[in-house]
Formats: sequence, structure tokens, C-alpha cells
Amino acid sequence: MKKVEAIIKPFKLDDVKESLSALGVKGLTVTEVKGFGRQRGHREVYRGAEYQVDFVSKIKIEVVLEDELVSDAVRVIQEKAKTGQIGDGKIFILSVENAIRIRTGEMGKEAI
Amino acid sequence: MASPSDELKRARSELISLFSAGEVSESFQENCTEVMDYYFRRSVQESDTGQRLFRDKRPFALVALGGYGRRDLCIHSDIDVLILFDSRVPSSAKKLAEDVFYPLWNLGLDLGHAIRGIKDCLSLAVENLEALTSLMDARFICGDSPLYLALMERLEKKILPKKRLTLGRWLEEQNQIRMDVFGDASCLLEPNLKEGIGGLRDYHHLLWLAKAFFRLRTPKDLEYSGLLSQKEYADLESHLKFIHLVRNHLHRESARKNDRLTFDHQESIAQALAFKDQDSFLAVEQFLGQIHASMAAIKSLRHSFVFTHFPGSRKNGNGTGASESLRAPFHMDQGEIHFPSATAILTDPLLLLDIFLEGVKAGCPLSLESKRLVREFLYLVDETCRTSERAARCFLSILNAPNASDALVQMLETGLLCAFIPEFEPIQDRVQFDHYHLFPVGRHLVQSVRQLKTLPQERDILLADIFLDLLDPEPLFLAALFHDIGKTGKDHAAKGAGLARKILKRFGYDRKKMEDVCFLVHRHLLLAETASRRDLNDEKIVVQCAGTVGTVDRLKMLYLLSWADGKATGPRAWNDWIANLVLELFLKILHILEKGELATPDASKRMKLSIQEVRNRIGDRLSPADQESMFDGMPPNYLIETSPRAIVRHLTLYATLREAWAKGFKNAFCLEAEAAPSSGTYEVTFLAGDRAGLFSHVAGVMALNNINILSARIYTWRDGTAVDILTVTPPLDPLHPEEIWEKIKGDLAGTFEGRLCLTKRLQQKAEPSILSPRKTPIRQTCVNVDNESSDFFTLIEVFADDRIGLLYRITHTLFTLGMNIRVAKIATKADQIADVFYVLDLEGQKVMEQAKTEEIKDVLLRELSKG
Repeated sequence: MKKVEAIIKPFKLDDVKESLSALGVKGLTVTEVKGFGRQRGHREVYRGAEYQVDFVSKIKIEVVLEDELVSDAVRVIQEKAKTGQIGDGKIFILSVENAIRIRTGEMGKEAI
Repeated sequence: MASPSDELKRARSELISLFSAGEVSESFQENCTEVMDYYFRRSVQESDTGQRLFRDKRPFALVALGGYGRRDLCIHSDIDVLILFDSRVPSSAKKLAEDVFYPLWNLGLDLGHAIRGIKDCLSLAVENLEALTSLMDARFICGDSPLYLALMERLEKKILPKKRLTLGRWLEEQNQIRMDVFGDASCLLEPNLKEGIGGLRDYHHLLWLAKAFFRLRTPKDLEYSGLLSQKEYADLESHLKFIHLVRNHLHRESARKNDRLTFDHQESIAQALAFKDQDSFLAVEQFLGQIHASMAAIKSLRHSFVFTHFPGSRKNGNGTGASESLRAPFHMDQGEIHFPSATAILTDPLLLLDIFLEGVKAGCPLSLESKRLVREFLYLVDETCRTSERAARCFLSILNAPNASDALVQMLETGLLCAFIPEFEPIQDRVQFDHYHLFPVGRHLVQSVRQLKTLPQERDILLADIFLDLLDPEPLFLAALFHDIGKTGKDHAAKGAGLARKILKRFGYDRKKMEDVCFLVHRHLLLAETASRRDLNDEKIVVQCAGTVGTVDRLKMLYLLSWADGKATGPRAWNDWIANLVLELFLKILHILEKGELATPDASKRMKLSIQEVRNRIGDRLSPADQESMFDGMPPNYLIETSPRAIVRHLTLYATLREAWAKGFKNAFCLEAEAAPSSGTYEVTFLAGDRAGLFSHVAGVMALNNINILSARIYTWRDGTAVDILTVTPPLDPLHPEEIWEKIKGDLAGTFEGRLCLTKRLQQKAEPSILSPRKTPIRQTCVNVDNESSDFFTLIEVFADDRIGLLYRITHTLFTLGMNIRVAKIATKADQIADVFYVLDLEGQKVMEQAKTEEIKDVLLRELSKG
């Protein structure tokens, strides 16, 4: 079992979500996040005065998957979230020890 | 005969099932109280210990306290009972309590009980204000009534006169605590019916104050004593009835004492109360609207009751000394504004509006009596009032005042806002059933105005600056007040714009400003929606927004409206995350509006017309979906600067190219040259898949064949197709131009395939010869790197003397510097060039680091100064 975390541009959320659903991903968690990578923050100028914007707004998607699905999921996220420009985001893959569905107590594969 | 507890059990479950069936609804608390009373009377009668105590001359009384005392028992309310003795509590009282109370615990009721003498009760009340308030609601159930009367008399005569000021202060503190813990229930999505501000507790406070200060015994006395008018008391009763009813349903559904009306219960309770979906107005939304309206009314009543009868409780003596400045005929009393008389209103109904203006000017609220008068005389506000110029002027003055929202809240509460602007009526209590909107629409609109009024003090100085830059913020205030006024159905923004127009026409409002207001209402979601759903790095999206917005002033107002709307909606609608995105979009649109020619209304119209014409010409040669994606991928300046005929031509060439690419000929390109006899030049159209340094290859091959590029427009479609349109000097051999163009195509193919090295060939060509005259430069070469003019590209401007191969040299240098040319405007005047290149680095970013921009400048200057 793996957890795939992806930081993407906000307007790409729908595309990514749809294609993950098409793959058979049953649920995912979405968070509005802020941060910076190589894009850094940026400085905005309004009428000569400068206003520093430190963090850039992004969307974080988290989804826990069976191992077989991981490579497909990563592929579609990359495909759909790409604009080719800086700030397209990153994908992280983490190992997951176990999962439990709270309502039923099911564990492992059945719980995701 | 059944035991008292069996009978209680049966009676209660019967009552609850009747309630569930909708048969007893409003009288439930009363019935429930009676059932309990009956139980206590019987159980005392049947208790041997109880009877023995009476025989032993140790009389006692059963007294109901708190909510039970007030006869306000909901399904799972606590039942507070006191067994009262004269002085010392006899030891057998324990046995009595067992007889009376144990069965109740067995039934699972929440029982609060005490066994005390009169003295203990009173000393507890002195120490503990909560105990005092509970005792103030005491009611005799059974037993020895003189004991109860003695307790109440001593409470009224000895304790209350000493403790009532402390009590008043304590209640204010409790209020503050309730506000912090439970919030203002009259505008919360999941209100607490009892403890929230506007909840039942507000009514209890009012009752306790009235009992402590005016010696009231029962709620009904509020009306008899004249503390509340007949109408106010009737309203209070009906609101309380409704809240109690809801609370009972909530208890029934949760099967426990639960006072927080959470989402999961709202829909089913709305259904139980027979609310029905109407059009797009959900039953649950109507239900919440009514709950909020009731709670707001109770809150407001308590507030004005305290304000009127306890002037000492006012925190700020805001209105002192302002009396003189008050305009006749109003007068000020203890920091509140009063009408001169009821008859004055009858002669001049517009006083109903004037008084609010005086209120904001003096910074004082209306007195309870004045509010009462406003409510009573609302019927005077008729069409003549609504269309009067004086009324409109007065209303706008209120709206422009810094503390306008104070007046607007009072106008909303008294119903004047709806009377004066009837368009408010359908939306004022409207609630949206989602996790997003915290306030009912009417409150949200006033809240939005309040947000705008805080702008001059806003900590985010950018927002404050933008606000202070506005020439006239009035349209913005009006738009804030009206932006959701169309929320009675779908597409509320467009509908709202229509309603706003209607209202402002009635006001006789300035035409131009009216257009601004309608625009703002219509587009109030544009920025937030675009910022969160579209690619802000796509110039075209931003250009489209800029075209919609039109002017810088409108953009600023729209930005501030988005901010105020979001802040007034709730934390889920507005936070740093969305604020960041909206700011980015705002600044990009601003720059386009301030600098670009792309965003003029004319430009966006031209773009639309041009696309339409291309569609007509193409017909069904391309599927609608394909057309859509093609147009979508064309940069805005390409669409503006290219004739429809040429676009069609490009699309045709593109179709053949695409086939070649599909067959694996990645280097395939198209080149067409057409003579322009009038100017003696040629126009060259060139299409190819974009690659690094592409344009420098074209420029180089042209130079190699002695063709000088006079002007050029180069574009890149989103799918990576480069489209270059060049105006060039004719080939040297005017008799056989085709041969030259064929040779050029061959050279280009050679370059792409790597068979031909342009740099070397051009160098050979440029070798000094007696045949080529050397010009001395008249003008110094000049290079500018400009990051200000566009949010999407870095602009590199080059001014230099023209010569063969110059363009190749510039573009090749840019290529070696890692610059990708997206758009170029090449212009030659006489023998000088003024070229602008819109570039991005290899990662598709603007070139922001100063070191890099300096390098570009230096390298270009060095390269161009080489002979």
C-alpha cells in the first residue's frame, strides 16, 4: 500500500480528480496549501510600492492506493497536472503500514 | 392503579409520540410540565415518609426551579426540584427524597435536586448568582405553600435589592462568555438554540432583569407592566414558541439533551415542520431563515431592553454632547435618538429614514421607542416615498457614512430596509444550506458593506491603498449592498444586476455610476472564480478578464468587492490561500489594462468578430471541437493582428503540416511567399513545429539569400506550432523569384537537418570585400530588458543600424543565451531597426534575476558591435 501525495496548481484539480476516478481510485483528500519551491515567493508592485508575496497557493491531493495502481496514478497525475511551466508541482510516494476503516473495522486493502 | 412513576412513564411517552405525530406541538412544554407536576403531587401523597413529616409538624414544599419553574420543559430538559423545609432539614427527609426522586432516575430523566431550609437557599443565592437566577424562576408544586411564599418574599425583599446590580453586571459578563463560546446564533450555520446569542438564554436574561428590577412575577407581566409593547410581547411569544418547537424536535431526533442545531438534523426538522421546497429555495433554507429571524428578533429585543432600562450598562458614552449637533426635529436622550412625536411621522413619513441618517451622524442608536415607532409606521413607506429624491439622497448619505453598517443593521431589524427597498424582502432571511455561507443573505450584504468601511484602517496596506485610490467609492458601497440581491434563483449575479438597475432607476441615480454598480453586481464572482479555476499563466485568460472588466477603476472596485464579499461570507470562502490567487489575477489584469492594447473593448470585440469570420470561412472543414481548441490555443495578439483570411490560410497549411508530422517528418515546415506589388515587398508565411532557435534559422537563411527582413510578427500557438509572418525585400533576381524561394526552402531544410551551418556560411559571406561598402554606424546600438510591461514575458528591445544578417545575429545570440522567443515585432525604419522580442527562459519563466538580465544585455551588445 502506498500513499501518493501531489502538490499541483489549483486549476488542475478537476482534471486530476476526474482521471484518478477513471482509474478506479475510490477516494482522495484535497487540501488548500501554501508554500514555495523553486518558484519562491514573488514581489508585486502596485503604484511603485512593493508588496512581498511569500507563499504560492497550491492544492495538495492525498490518496492511498494498492501498489498495482500506484504507477498509473502517478502517470495520470503527471499528465494532467502538467502545464510545462515552473510551479507545476511535485509528486511524493510514501509507504503505508496499514489502513483501517473506522466504521467497520476492515483493515488493509479492503479499507481503502 | 399504576404507580406514579409508571403513570409518568406512560404519560410522557404518550406525549412524545403525540408530539412526533405532530399533534401537540406548541403546548408541549406546558403539557410536559403538568405531567411532571402531577407525578410530584402523587408521589408526595403516596410517600409514607412525606405524610409522616406533615403529621409531625415538619412541613415541606416541593418547588420547581429553573426551566421547570418557568414551565419550559422540552423533551430532554433537566428537571430541577427543591424540597424546601422551614429551617433545619430533618433526617427523614432523605427517605422522602428516595421516595420521590429515585423513580425519576430509574426513568432516565435528568434530575437536579436539592433539599434545603429557607435560610440555606438564600445564603446560597447570595454566594452563587446561578443559584439566584434559578431561584428567581421558582414555582410552587405541592406541599406547604406558606413555606414557598416565605422564601419568595425574603428573596424579593432581602436579597434582590442588594444583589441586582451585581446580577446585572454578571449577566453582561455571561453574555460576553456566551458570545465567545457559542457565537451569535442568529447568523450561525449550526446555531445553539439555548446558549447562543439570540437563543433562549437571551429571553431568560430579559426575564431575570425584569424580575430583579421591576418585580415582575410572570412573563406575561412584561406586557402588563408596559416594559414591552403589545406587539413586541406577541412577537416575543411567537418567536419563543418556534424556537421551543425546534428544540423539542432536536431533542427528539438526538434522543438526548442537545441544543446545537447541527447540519445532520436540519433537513429532517425542516421536513417535520412541514417546510416545502419552492423553486430553488430549499425547505431547509427556509427553515434556517426562520430560525435566524427569530433568534435575531430575540437578540435585538434583549439588546434594546437592556439599553433602554439599564443605561448604566452601556460601555461607551458615545453620544454625549452630540445632542446640540442633532438636526431638528430629532432629539437625543441618554445617548439615543428619539422622534419628536408620533404625529410628526404622520405628517412627514420620510422622518422614518431621516432618523437613521441622524443616528450615523451622531454615532448613536435609535431608542427602543423610536424603533417601535419605525415598525408601527412602516405602512407609510409607499411608492411616493421610495421614489422621492430626498429619500434617495438620505439613503445615499447613510450608505456613504463611515459607520453606515450600524444604521443598515437597525434598518434591517426594524424592517425599514425592506419597506424602502422591497427587493430585499425575499432575500433578507434567506439562508443557503451549505458549509460556506455563515450569514443569511440580508446580514451578509450589510456585513459586506461593513467590511468595506474598515478598508481605510485595513492592516493589509495594499487593500487600503487601492481603496484610497478610488475616485468615488459610492458605486462600490451600493454594489456591496446589492450584490446578492438576486439570490432567489439561478444565476443570481445577472438577476441581481437587473434588480440593482431597477432600484437605482427608482432613486434617479446617476447613469454612469449606475452602470458601474450593475457591472459590479453582475461580475462579483469573476475574480474569485477565475483565480481558483483557471490558469493565471495563460495570458489569454487574463486578457479576457481584462476585456470584461474594461477600466482600471472598475477593476479596483471589483477587487475590493471580491474581498469584502469573501470576508463577509466566512472563513471557508476567504482565506490567505484564495486571497493570494485573487491578488495575482488582480495585478495581472491591472497591468494589462494600464499598459496593454489587448484589453480595450475594441480589441476583444475584434477578436470575437475575427474568430466568427474564420468559422464562417472554414465551415465544416474542421470539426467544431477542433476549431474550439485551435482558437483557444492562439495567443490574443495573433488573433488581433492577423486577418481572418490569413488565419484560414494558416489553418490550411497547419492541416497539411500535421499530416506530415504524424508520418514522422518532424522537420516538416511550410513556406509561402506572396508579392505585395503596391509596396514592392514580399510577404512570407512560415509554419513549423517550434524548436529552440527556430527564428534565428529563418533569419539566417534569409540573410544568406540576400533577403532583408523588414518586419516580422512571430507567434507560437499553444500546441507548439510556430507561425511567422515576415515582410521582406524582394529577391535580387526579380525575374525568377520562385527559384530563390525554392533555394530558401532547401537551405532551411538543410539547416533543420544539420547539413548546413549557418554561422559559418554567414561569416564567409560577411568577409570584407571591396564590393560591399562598409557603413559607419550613425547610431549607437541599444538594448533594453523590460520585465514591467508584461506579466507573462520578458521583453528585450534592440535598437541598431540595419545590416544583412543582423536579425540572425540577435536571434541566434538570444538562442545561445537560453531564451525562447514567443513573440517578436521586427520593424525597420529607413536603415535602423527597432525590434522587440517577447521571451521566456527554457523553463517557461520570465527572466527575473538581475544577473541574468545584465548578461543578456552585455552579450547582445558585444555581439552586435562586432563588425
